[in-house]
Amino acid sequence: MYEPKVIGFLCTWCSYTGADSAGTSRLKTPWNLRAVRVPCSGRVAPELILRAFDQGADGVLVLGCHIGECHYDSGNHRAAKRIPLLLSILEFAGMQPERLRLDWVSASEGDRYARIVSEFVDALRPLGPNTWRISGAAPRTGAAIGVPLPLVSGLSGGAPCP
Amino acid sequence: MSISETMQSTARDLLISGQVQRVIGFEASPRGRVRPAIIDRPEEAERLVWSADCTHNLTVYLQRALNRDNGHASREPATPPARVAIVVKPCDSRAINVLLAEHQFSREQVFAIGMACEGIRQGAPASAPEATLQERCLRCRERVPVVHDVLLGEPPSALPEALPDEALAHVRGLPPAERAAFWLNQFDRCIRCYACRQTCPMCNCPTCLFEQEDALWVGMRIAPSEKRAFHLGRALHLAGRCVGCNECERVCPMGIPIGLLNRHLAETVESLYGHRAGMQAVLSPVTGMLSAEESAP
Amino acid sequence: MKTLSRENLNLWLDGLAAQQSLIAPHLEAQGVFYRPVQRAQEIAWEADRPALSAKEFLFPPSERLLKVEKRGPDIRLEVSPSAAPQAIFGLRPCDARGIRVMDAAFLETPPIDSQYASRRENTLLLGLACRSMGASCFCTIMGLAPDDPRDMDVMFTDRGPTLAVQALTPRGEALLAGLPIVEEPGEVEPASRREVGGLPTAEAWKESFGDARWAKHGERCLSCRLCAYVCPTCRCYDVRDEALPSPPGEAHFERLRAWDSCTREGYRLTAGGHNPRAAAGSRLRNRLLCKFVYYPHQYGPAACTGCGRCLDACPVNLDLLEIGGALQEAAQ
Repeated sequence: MYEPKVIGFLCTWCSYTGADSAGTSRLKTPWNLRAVRVPCSGRVAPELILRAFDQGADGVLVLGCHIGECHYDSGNHRAAKRIPLLLSILEFAGMQPERLRLDWVSASEGDRYARIVSEFVDALRPLGPNTWRISGAAPRTGAAIGVPLPLVSGLSGGAPCP
Repeated sequence: MSISETMQSTARDLLISGQVQRVIGFEASPRGRVRPAIIDRPEEAERLVWSADCTHNLTVYLQRALNRDNGHASREPATPPARVAIVVKPCDSRAINVLLAEHQFSREQVFAIGMACEGIRQGAPASAPEATLQERCLRCRERVPVVHDVLLGEPPSALPEALPDEALAHVRGLPPAERAAFWLNQFDRCIRCYACRQTCPMCNCPTCLFEQEDALWVGMRIAPSEKRAFHLGRALHLAGRCVGCNECERVCPMGIPIGLLNRHLAETVESLYGHRAGMQAVLSPVTGMLSAEESAP
Repeated sequence: MKTLSRENLNLWLDGLAAQQSLIAPHLEAQGVFYRPVQRAQEIAWEADRPALSAKEFLFPPSERLLKVEKRGPDIRLEVSPSAAPQAIFGLRPCDARGIRVMDAAFLETPPIDSQYASRRENTLLLGLACRSMGASCFCTIMGLAPDDPRDMDVMFTDRGPTLAVQALTPRGEALLAGLPIVEEPGEVEPASRREVGGLPTAEAWKESFGDARWAKHGERCLSCRLCAYVCPTCRCYDVRDEALPSPPGEAHFERLRAWDSCTREGYRLTAGGHNPRAAAGSRLRNRLLCKFVYYPHQYGPAACTGCGRCLDACPVNLDLLEIGGALQEAAQ
């Protein structure tokens, strides 16, 4: 039975501690999440998330401190700006938006952590494995596998590919 | 006087008076093409031209011309000129604002020769006389550079109807699986020549993140996964900074519609933050600013 | 003159495509490129020379050289398997010459590049003569011609309903045996040529090293790699080790190589931070002198086939014919 592989970027000061708190309270949390501890959600570069998807992650969850509570003042602001844009370009490039989520969990919110992770994994399961990953060097073929674009300049200048 | 002649005399006067030590403009070249020209002496000014084939975004040369490019391509010997004049179209001029906001040089170091622009022909820098305008020009709403110290040419009194971005709408309208297949097909053709990056004035990192020796972010393979990461990542780094000159797409030897990625994010940034790159010399709210407080005007 | 009807040629090509990879000029979004095709009807017959050379089929943009698996003290090396058979049809003389030029470094000068050698061994070169020289072509300056058959296994010349056929190698002869070749009277019409001026001699290029104008020539260079990547003979590459997903307790990685170019800003960057070719003009000079001085000195042939792709591809219209012409003028 398919179980999504989730990479979770958890910030040291809030969400990672929140995850710990869920553990010590014996709250049921899906095991699908592989935790990567970072100092701050603002440290999570979009390229890091891209790499996680390129290497086969079915979902990526970034959890930081609530806005106004960041240990570094504005680190979570950066995450709040970057990740929606990353989501926008990933969706534009054909990835399902449910696979990336940014949320806020404080150190004492073990139950919130458990709930968010469960929701995320439950939303991922019906989507099936992520087809984003391309392994190796896919050979180039003569046939186009995309859809012909409308005849606007610069995008098609000759006969469509067979 | 033709507009080329006006440009030549402007450049000549600037160099003779010592107001600038270098002029970046356009010149005619063999095979009917137009290309960038960088001149230092008044007698070279007669080479300069202006036409509907002047497609290049010359601001890519500004840092180098001012010897402020970390020695990447600076001309020897390294005596930086105090001031450089540059020929800019409306789109190019926005790049000056972005680079000013990012402290790549100061306003006093640049003399902007602004061109009132009616659009650049397709097939530029050497196009057939009957060629239509480039698509980016058909969508453009600016006719006068936002930064200029002198303005050459007559701006039109009325703007024609702007062409809707059909290609962008088309890709957005595709179902996700088809969209993914479309982009993979595009990136498959990429040869990682980096012409798109090298022609972009805003791509000026001393070492590109996607080319680092330790391959931390993206491997060196010229394969679809790596190429996709490069293009999506580069578009992200240009969010709120790309001015839509579309030179990246023009120079691509494989016909990849790179501009679609940049335009998509430009629209997203504009709808989220009300920010259009380069209309003023302010940082991109995404890549430049650090906290909510700094976003406030 | 030996000829083959177009119908029979297409049948034969379809048969080839069924047995191995058949690569031929193919029309795509932004022009004609050499691509694997499944059927003869996918071939772009009327096109000018494809926008990129055919070198990628012998020297791919990136490939694995080695896979290394380390388990404790044990190290296992896995060399990449040898290449599958392929045939390149519609190969232009400039591209075939490009392959021969690369042979001089990869095959004829030790150490032999085993990846290249294996592909070269398994590749058939089936040429198609150009009818005329394109606007940016200058193959004639480099001792070639638009219909030069010398570097092919078989050379075809399109005459409309039939094609003239000429076998140049034993392998080519073997290929044509069993084909319904028709002997026709007459000779193949030579392709039309164009006067394209000249280039400096190797000595003259060498003498130009100190010419201060190299800096001027290079000042609009963007240091992209288009010229090198479209070129049939540019063959510099970078090598890197990259980690692979490994089972616990083991370390797996692969050694990769990928196309690189001396025009890139950091190409000559040395440990310690010094960059002897920091200026774009010095990189441009290096690229042209490599073609016309260093490569012939080391390996024999000049590393340029006059295909003219660099002239078409350069976004800022850097033109080696123009630069060469300027140097010749200065010399006089």
